This record gives sequence, structure tokens and C-alpha cells, in this order.
Amino acid sequence: MRILHTDVLVIGGGLAGQRAAIGARRRGLEVTIISLVPAKRSHSAAAQGGMQASLGNCRGAQGDNEDLHFADTVRGSDWGADQQVVRMFAHTAPKAIRELAAWGVPWSRVERGEHSITVNGQKQTVSEADAAHGLITSRNFGGTAKWRACYVSDGTGHAMLYTMSNQAIAAGIPVHERMEAVALIHDGERCCGAIVRNLMSGELVAYLARATCIATGGFGRIYRVSTNAIINEGMGAAIALETGRAALGNMEAVQFHPTGIFPAGILVTEGCRGDGGLLLDGAGERFMPGYEPEKAELASRDVVSRRMEEHIAAGHAASSRFGEHLWLDIRLLGEAHINTQLREVQEICQYFLGIDPARELIPVRPAQHYSMGGVRTDPHCHSPTLRGLFAVGEAACWDMHGFNRLGGNSVAETVVAGMIAGEAIADFCASPEGALTVSTTLAEEFHRREANKLAAIAGNSGGESAVELTRLMQETMTANVGIFRHGDKLQQAVNTLRDLLQRSANVGLRSQARGPNPELVAAYRLPRMLKLALCVASGALAREESRGAHYRDDFPRRDDQKWLCRTLARWPGDDAETPQLDYEALDVMGMELPPGWRGYGARDFIEHPDTATRQAQLEQALAAAGELDRHARQQLLMPFLHLLPAGLQARNQRLGDAP
Amino acid sequence: MRPSVNRWPARVDVLQSASGLLLVLFIWGHMFFESSILLGHDAMYLVAKAFEGQPLLSEPHPELVSIAGGTVLMLIALHALLALRKFPATWRQYRELHGHLGRMRHWDSTLWYVQVITGFFLFFLAAAHLSQMMLQPEDIGPYASADRIWSDHYWLLYAPLLLTVHLHAAIGVYRLAMKWGPFSAATTDRWRGRARLLMVSALAFFLCLGTASLVTYMRLGAEHAPYKGERYTPSWERE
Amino acid sequence: MSEIPTRAVRELTIRVLRCNPAEPEQTPEWQDFRLEEAEAMTLFVALSLLREEQDASLSFDFVCRAGICGSCGMLINGRPGLACRTLTRDLPDTITLAPLPGFELIADLSVNTGKWMRGMSERLETWVHDAGLADHNLAQVEAPMDPALAREIYELERCIECGCCIAACGTAQMRENFVGAVGLNQVARFRLDPRDTREDADYYELVGDEDGVFGCMTLLGCEDLCPKDLPLAAQIAFLRRKMARA
Ligand SMILES: Cc1cc2nc3c(=O)[nH]c(=O)nc-3n(C[C@H](O)[C@H](O)[C@H](O)COP(=O)(O)OP(=O)(O)OC[C@H]3O[C@@H](n4cnc5c(N)ncnc54)[C@H](O)[C@@H]3O)c2cc1C
Ligand code: HEM
Repeated sequence: MRILHTDVLVIGGGLAGQRAAIGARRRGLEVTIISLVPAKRSHSAAAQGGMQASLGNCRGAQGDNEDLHFADTVRGSDWGADQQVVRMFAHTAPKAIRELAAWGVPWSRVERGEHSITVNGQKQTVSEADAAHGLITSRNFGGTAKWRACYVSDGTGHAMLYTMSNQAIAAGIPVHERMEAVALIHDGERCCGAIVRNLMSGELVAYLARATCIATGGFGRIYRVSTNAIINEGMGAAIALETGRAALGNMEAVQFHPTGIFPAGILVTEGCRGDGGLLLDGAGERFMPGYEPEKAELASRDVVSRRMEEHIAAGHAASSRFGEHLWLDIRLLGEAHINTQLREVQEICQYFLGIDPARELIPVRPAQHYSMGGVRTDPHCHSPTLRGLFAVGEAACWDMHGFNRLGGNSVAETVVAGMIAGEAIADFCASPEGALTVSTTLAEEFHRREANKLAAIAGNSGGESAVELTRLMQETMTANVGIFRHGDKLQQAVNTLRDLLQRSANVGLRSQARGPNPELVAAYRLPRMLKLALCVASGALAREESRGAHYRDDFPRRDDQKWLCRTLARWPGDDAETPQLDYEALDVMGMELPPGWRGYGARDFIEHPDTATRQAQLEQALAAAGELDRHARQQLLMPFLHLLPAGLQARNQRLGDAP
Repeated sequence: MRPSVNRWPARVDVLQSASGLLLVLFIWGHMFFESSILLGHDAMYLVAKAFEGQPLLSEPHPELVSIAGGTVLMLIALHALLALRKFPATWRQYRELHGHLGRMRHWDSTLWYVQVITGFFLFFLAAAHLSQMMLQPEDIGPYASADRIWSDHYWLLYAPLLLTVHLHAAIGVYRLAMKWGPFSAATTDRWRGRARLLMVSALAFFLCLGTASLVTYMRLGAEHAPYKGERYTPSWERE
Repeated sequence: MSEIPTRAVRELTIRVLRCNPAEPEQTPEWQDFRLEEAEAMTLFVALSLLREEQDASLSFDFVCRAGICGSCGMLINGRPGLACRTLTRDLPDTITLAPLPGFELIADLSVNTGKWMRGMSERLETWVHDAGLADHNLAQVEAPMDPALAREIYELERCIECGCCIAACGTAQMRENFVGAVGLNQVARFRLDPRDTREDADYYELVGDEDGVFGCMTLLGCEDLCPKDLPLAAQIAFLRRKMARA
């Protein structure tokens, strides 16, 4: 057995993992990243539209600040988020973007003078100030008060990931590519590395580390139609779940993006609508303003996706031989705009649909897009229940997204959380807790266990097919745990998934090829994906309310009284068939922004008994304090700066601020 | 410039291209002079004498032709030596290249290969032609050349030389344009289109011109065969 | 309106070059698969079906399946391209697929482009060089950049390191150490970037030799087969002029 030692093991080479790795490396630690694919091929590269940060440079962003970003994010989350974490995030996002700007991301910039923009289907002219010329510009995104999504044409994630990866290479951080973590090594209290399978040779290696950080991205592939990469199978979250100690938070909170191209499910960015694109129905009519007069196409994703499905159900879809869909119209933006600001969209339409979006409509339908849930952490990205285990990015439930993430907040989260986690990991390693005391016998034990499991799977001559079971899982999830959910269907889904989990023990392999045996990979990932799917379905079944992306036909109202809480799913043991669900209350009395109406979507909800009290308390505190600037005001209501590393606490300067 | 840096790769690349360009200019110029035969014996005679320096020095000095030939030969040697670095050097490289070209069916890659092959042949053909010119510089003239081409069967050298040198030169010019040309992302297509047009038209033009003069020499040679060895006397010197 | 054009169902022959270095007793060989074509079928869909239904051991790499990540470069009927966004309807009845040449073979259609690209990045130091980066003041308003320049940099930044330019390059096929269009484009990108403090003399040290820009023989395979339509010929010509003078 081969054992590799490193101070920090980062599982995942996307934006989140690499930023955390760079942070820890800068603090002098030896860091190793492992990744299923070359780091630059991680799915972060697919992010198109933008990264939210309240820079306030361009005209549409004027007056933006952390307070507005905070409020938009909390509203977007339908009050499911941890508000302190949202504050940490909103405060750090401008720093993250400025760091990336210094590192080389070619952010699109403000251009002085008059510009033609498209708002509500109409052309308007805006004028950009001389002083802002050359600063980072931003575009409009759903659910935001200001134009806050900073972008690089529509290759934002690509540009960010390349810059990040290049900086990681500059820092000399090794990335062990085509390596898959298949189990976390732990003693029930402390995580001390992972068992890793080499996807080229099949070799199992033990990586022992003082701190382990999961940054494995989302798990969209448990659904049939998803915008996610096909490697987004959630293996990081799954191996955390399998420890039985670490918990997965809010797994039922799954986002569906309004504009997956139909039927392939490939994403076209929200930037299309942010820049003025419209949604049309089968009759070629715009329908969103009828449902959402306030924000129309630019309500939050959960709301828009729901309205689209509602509209389809009401018989207004367009249809093709693949089924029913709606249209996205970006023709009105003009060819010049599309060819510079929406290049990837243009390419995707050209190659996958054979159409020119400057002239033709794009067929779209909501598709699974983002996992708000993931490995539950504290504000320092550290698992509260398994020490030494950190998690960042989409794989984590740091919980700034609650039950719905705003477009552009995810890549922002990856970098911000990475910055915070890098410091937290280094602090942890420097603390007495951070010493690695376990003996290699623990590693050997885990190694043996995984090797035996793999041998059993490879030698299984059972009659089940991994392909078939995977397909059944995906169909079940898409049909029964999708945008509209219902108790009966969810129960059915849980039953089916449980059954599939049992059947997955009987998957037989046809090929015994050595080396990168793709069939074996599918077979050992399947039960883990099923466990994640069970967490999603069970959590959704248990949560008898509608909040953010989690919508129950049978419980259509948000219920703050009973459900203002975070779901925590644990896998009780190897033979368990369903997760154990616990709930962590969100404390209204600690909130800066007590629950209310989001400003779009449903208006009625069941109020939490503390909401009025907290509201009064906040008002009183403000009245008693008298004149305060916004920073002091905020500090009074909900202090958070102490949670941030010292280097990230400074106030963000903006254009026009006194230096 | 840092002293430690090796400037040779840059110099060599420039030299390779510059020598190629000079050779192209030479061969294109050469074509016009050589094809003066199409305008008649006297025209060709004058051109030949001009190159022997007669108009300036009042006496013909065939050594001048030898010197010019030598220079070109040296230029070719230099150019060939530099270009040789680009040839597939090992069996493995040769195999890779062949497989690659076969699979890709890519026009420009194949053109390069044409250049390699024509270059290889030019090494012999041009050397043969030039050394002959250097050794017998006085034997350039309407009758002498025609006799050599027909009666001495030199057309067997010149026909392939004509084809290879023009293929090689035209493609070479296209390559030079794409290698060094001041085009930008926006103008690549236009630039490349024009460079291609230049390549094709130059090739067509010089092949026609060359063939026409070669055929003329051959015809003249055939007519003059009975008097082989006789030298041409320009019309104004005859009584 | 935007209907995807229909066509009679074809039976495709997909001919794959099979080779698994982990099984050295097997020699590389072509294997034919038959598959019924479906509407809007991409090679991603076709290969996934083959693996699911006909041969579970077939190896290939797809990640984003949207033409963005650069994982699925392969030789499609002899020419490099991204399989995920190649529609079978644009191909003849027989489709040959082979791994990208010039990279270490993992198995079948899967090659180790990641390792090659990392080596290239380390060698050419493809990152912004600026001594002040580590203690940059993040609270400060960012330094302005000309919007047109930002666009120009992004134009070169769009490279997805798929390796198609290496497979399309006769020079790279003959000479293992040649950095190829992907490497030269990166140098051009950082050279353009005012945040990078390196000068031409520094870049000359990286690409001023036969393995760098002077090794390029201008065969233009990169220019013609780059899936992202990067202006590679223009960049290389530009770099060559600069380096010749550096
Ligand atoms: C099509 C699309 C467009 C998007 N657009 C936007 C946008 O415009 N703005 C926005 O904010 N967000 C966007 N998002 C969301 C955002 O891109 C992702 O949430 C974010 O990039 C995730 O980053 P990450 O670092 O957490 O994970 P990823 O980038 O997904 O990286 C995961 C890494 O983990 C590795 N890995 C996984 N499992 C294992 C394992 N078991 N062992 C070893 N390594 C493993 C992978 O190889 C990979 O390197 C988009 C998402 C999609 C799908
Ligand atoms: C002995 C004879 C010759 C040989 C072996 C030879 C060989 C070659 C080769 C292999 C190349 C391609 C080099 C590369 O791709 O970098 C080349 C380029 C070229 N050759 Fe020649 N050549 C010969 C004679 C000539 C002659 C007589 C001319 C002029 C008519 C000529 C003009 C050119 C030009 C213009 C180029 C392009 C230059 C460049 O790529 O930089 N060559 N030659």
C-alpha cells in the first residue's frame, strides 16, 4: 500500500478547491490537490454569466454596496441562509474579484460614454461616467437590486478558473489529476485524509493529511436533465456522508435553471435575460410580466423556473418532436452584442442546435442546475462534527444560499469561501488540534476496506446493470423530485431509490479490463449517488412547506413557524437504507433581516413567532443609537467581522469614496 | 538584451526566410531575363551580354556570370542548410509526419511537404544547373543555350527544375507571408486569401512563362541542331 | 421556426482505435460498432450509448459535454475536434475515431492532455508575473484597464487547452518538445497583459528557440482546426516578429 503525506489534502481542483489550496500554501503549508480531471477542466469553467460583487462601478450598479448584496442574497435564499455567512460573503466578494483582477482575469470593463441597452424589450441609452472608465463593469442578473454580476464576456468561469489554476501552478501546488477520493480516513472524531483511486491505473493510494478539504462541486447528475458536467456526481459529498459523522445540509434544496437548451440541457446563461433577453411561449408571446410584474424574467431562478413550468402545464408551450418547451429570445440584443458579450451562447446555439441566436429563437426548458446543499460547515468552512474536514464551494453547505442561490453568487462563493477556508485551514494546522496523531494502521484499515469493496464489485456476477439503475435513479429524480413536488410522489421516489440502492449491491460487471475500467467506476459510484438522491428525496418529503427552490404542491406556503431550519442528513451506517434527518434551527433573534416577502414570488407565508419581536428589537436598537453610518448600523444589528480572517476585514473602497 | 541569451535561433530563422526571399526574387527575375528569348534572338543576346557586363565594361566578362552563379549557389547552400533542420530527421519523425499528413488532408500542411520534397530535388537540380553556368559562363546565348537544351538534352534537367523551383518558390512566398506578415486576428482571412492568390497566380504565371521559353529554346535548338556549336551574331553585326 | 432538421434514420459504423496500455498483450486495433443514428446525436451521445449498450470497457473523456472544458478532443475521421459538439449528421456513414496523437495514451480515446498542458504551463510560466501580488491591497479600487484591451486579452484567453492544435500540427507531431500553438498563444496573451511585468527579453528566454516560436513552420493546422477559432496564425506571426527583434 502506498501512503502519501501532505499537510493539506484538497479534494477537487475547481475554483473553490484551488483558492483554498493557494491560501494554505501561502501560509507555508504543503498542499496537494487531487481531481477527477485536469484542474482547468473542472466544471467551474462552464460558468458563463458572471460573478456577483458589489463594486458599483457602472451606471446600473451605482449605489450598490454590501448591504444590498446581503439583502438580495437573503431574500433569494428565502431566508434559509445563515445571515452571518452571507455578510462575510458580501463583504469579501469585492476583495475576491479585485484579487482575481490583479491575478490576470480580463474582466469586462466600463466604457465611458453612451451605450444602448435593452430593458423590458425596449432600447434605452445609458451614459457611463469618465471616472468609471476602465473599471470592472457588471451586468444585470435575476433577483438583484443592482447590476452586480461582473463578467468576462460569457466565459466568466473559464477565465476565472484559468487564472486561478495558473496561480496555483505558480505557487507550485501539485495537482494529482485523474484521481478520485473514494473514502475519507477518520476515527469518528478527526478526519485525516482520504483513500484515493487512480482512475488511469486503478491503484488505491492513502493520502494522510492534517487537514482535508472537500471541494468537489455539485451532484446534478443524479437528475436526468442537468446543466452540470457529467463528472458532477457528488462523490465528495457522498464520501463525507459515508463517514456517518459529517452531515449534509439542505440536500432537498436543488436549483433548476430556467434556460437549459432543450432537450440537451446545456445551459445558456442568465446573462441572456440580464442583458435584456425575453422568455416567449408557444404563441411567441412574452408571459413573465403577467406572473411577476415586479421582476418579470429577472425574478430569482426558482420563481422563473416554476412560472415556466406552470405556463407549460397551462398549455402554452411550443412543441418539438422532443417534447414541450418555451423560447428564449435574444434577437433583440443584436448581433454585435451577442458576438462580443454572449459568445459561448452563440457557439452553443450554433453547434448544438444549428441555429443563429441573433436571428432565431432558442428552445429552452428548466433543467437541474445547482446544489444548494452539501457538506455542512461552520462559518470557517470547517465541519462541526468531523474535525479536520473542511468543505468549500458547491460541495459545501456553508450556507449562504439557503433554499435558492442567486445567479452569479456561486462562483463568487467558491472564491470567497476558498479565501476564508485557506486561512482557516492554516489556523487549524497551526493549532494543537491540527497535529496529525493517527497511526498508519488507520490508513491501512481504510485502504483494506476500500480494496475489498472494489474487489467485491469487480467480482460480482449479479444480474443488475449499473447503466440501467443509474437511468432509473435519474428518471425518478427528474420526475418526482423536480420543480413541483408532492408528498405522494416524493414517497414513491424514496421507495424507488431505496429499492435501487438494494439492487445496486447486485450490479455485475461485463468487463474485467485493467486500467481505467469505466464500468467499474460506474458500479462503485452508483450506490453513493443513490445515497445522495435519498438525502434529497427524504429531505424533500419531510419538509412540509415551500421555500425557495423546494416547492410542495401540497404545502405551497413558506412556513417559518415550523420550518425555519436547516435539514441535516447523516448516513447512520453501512446497512442503512435511508438517511437520518435532523434539523438545525435558524435563529430569528440573531437575524439582521428577519423573514418577510422576497419582493417577487408568493406573498403569503406563515410567520415565525419571533419575527415581530426581532423586528421591533432592531428598530429600537437603531432608534436608540441615533445617527450612524451604514457600517456602524450594520455592526450594531449583527456583528460578523470577527468571523473573517484579519486580512479580509478592511472596508471595501468604491469609486467616489474618500480614500 | 541579456548577455546570456542565445540570439542564434532568431537569427537563423530570419536568415532562412531572408535567403528564401532573395532566392525567390532571383528566380522570378531570372525568369524574365531567360524568357527574353520569346522576344527574339537579339533580345536574349542583349540580356546575356548585359549580365556579362558588356554595356558598362565595354568588353564581355563571363566571369561575372560565374560570380553571380556562385553567389546564388552559396545562397542556396545556406538556405538549404538552414531548411534542412526542418526536415524529418529520424525514421520516427518521418513516420509521424506521414501519418499526420495522410490523416489530416490539410492543404497547408501538405503544401509544406511539397516544399520539403521540391527543396530536396532542388538541391540537385539547382546545383547541377548553377555549376554548369559557373563553369561555362560564356555559353549563354540564343544558339548556345538552345543547343545545350536540345542537342545536349538539358531540357531533361530544366523541365523538372522549372516545375520544382516554381512550386517551391510560390509556396515559399505564401509561407513567408503567413510566417511574418503583419496581419491581425481581424485581417487573417483577408491576408491569407491574398497570399494564396499571390501563390497561385505567381505559380501559374511563371510556369507558363517558363514553359513557353523552354519550348522556344527547344524548338530553336532543334532547328539549330545541324549547326551545333555555332555562336549567335546579333542582327546589327551581320552585314 | 427553430426546428432541428429531420432526416431518415441511418445506421452508423463507428470505427474506434482500441488500445489499453494496461493490457500490454492486446495490440492496438480498429473495432467497428454499429449504431442507429438519432436526432441531433452528438459523438458524446453516440459514444455513451456504445459504452452503455455494447462495450462497457470503452474509454473516452467527456466532462462538460458543451464544448467548454476541452476534455474530449479526438481524431474524428482523421482530424482533431471536440467530440461533444460534433453532430453525427455532419459526418459520413462511417466515422473513425482515434485518440489525439502527441499525447500520452491512457486508453482508447482517452489521452493525458492534462499532464502535457501542466508541463507547458510550468515551462512557459503562464501566469501574471508581478512581485507585488502577494501583498496586494484588496480593499482598494482595482486598477483600470482599457475595455478594448480587456476584450483582446479575453480573445486569447478563450483557449481551452483541448490539444487539438497539437494534434493538428505537423511540427508538434515530429518534435515532442515543441510548445505548439497553445503555448505560443499563452505567451502572446501574457505579453499583451499590462499586469504582467515581463518584457520581451523574458519571453525570448521562454520561446526564443526551435522548441518555441522559431520551431513553427507555419503549417497552419492549428489555425484551421482550433475549435475555439482562436487567431493563432496572427498571434504566432506577431510573436515571431517580436521575438526576432527581442
Ligand atoms: C453550466 C453552468 C453555468 C454556471 N454559471 C454560473 C455563473 O454564471 N455564475 C455563478 O456564480 N455560478 C455559475 N454556475 C455554478 C458554478 O459554476 C459552480 O457552482 C461552481 O463553479 C462550483 O465550483 P467548485 O469549485 O465548487 O466545483 P467544480 O468546479 O465543479 O470542481 C469540482 C472539482 O472536484 C473534483 N472532484 C469531484 N469529485 C471528486 C473526487 N471524488 N475525488 C477527487 N476530485 C473530485 C473535480 O475533478 C473538480 O476538479 C454555473 C454552473 C453550471 C453547471
Ligand atoms: C537546394 C535547394 C533548396 C532546398 C533544399 C530548400 C528547402 C526548403 C525547405 C525545406 C523549406 C521549408 C522551411 C520551413 O518550413 O521552415 C524552404 C523554404 C523556402 N524556400 Fe527553399 N529550398 C531550396 C531552394 C530554394 C530556392 C532556389 C528558392 C527560391 C526560388 C527557395 C525559396 C524558399 C522560400 C521563400 C522558403 C520559405 C522560407 C521560410 O519558410 O522561412 N528555396 N526551402
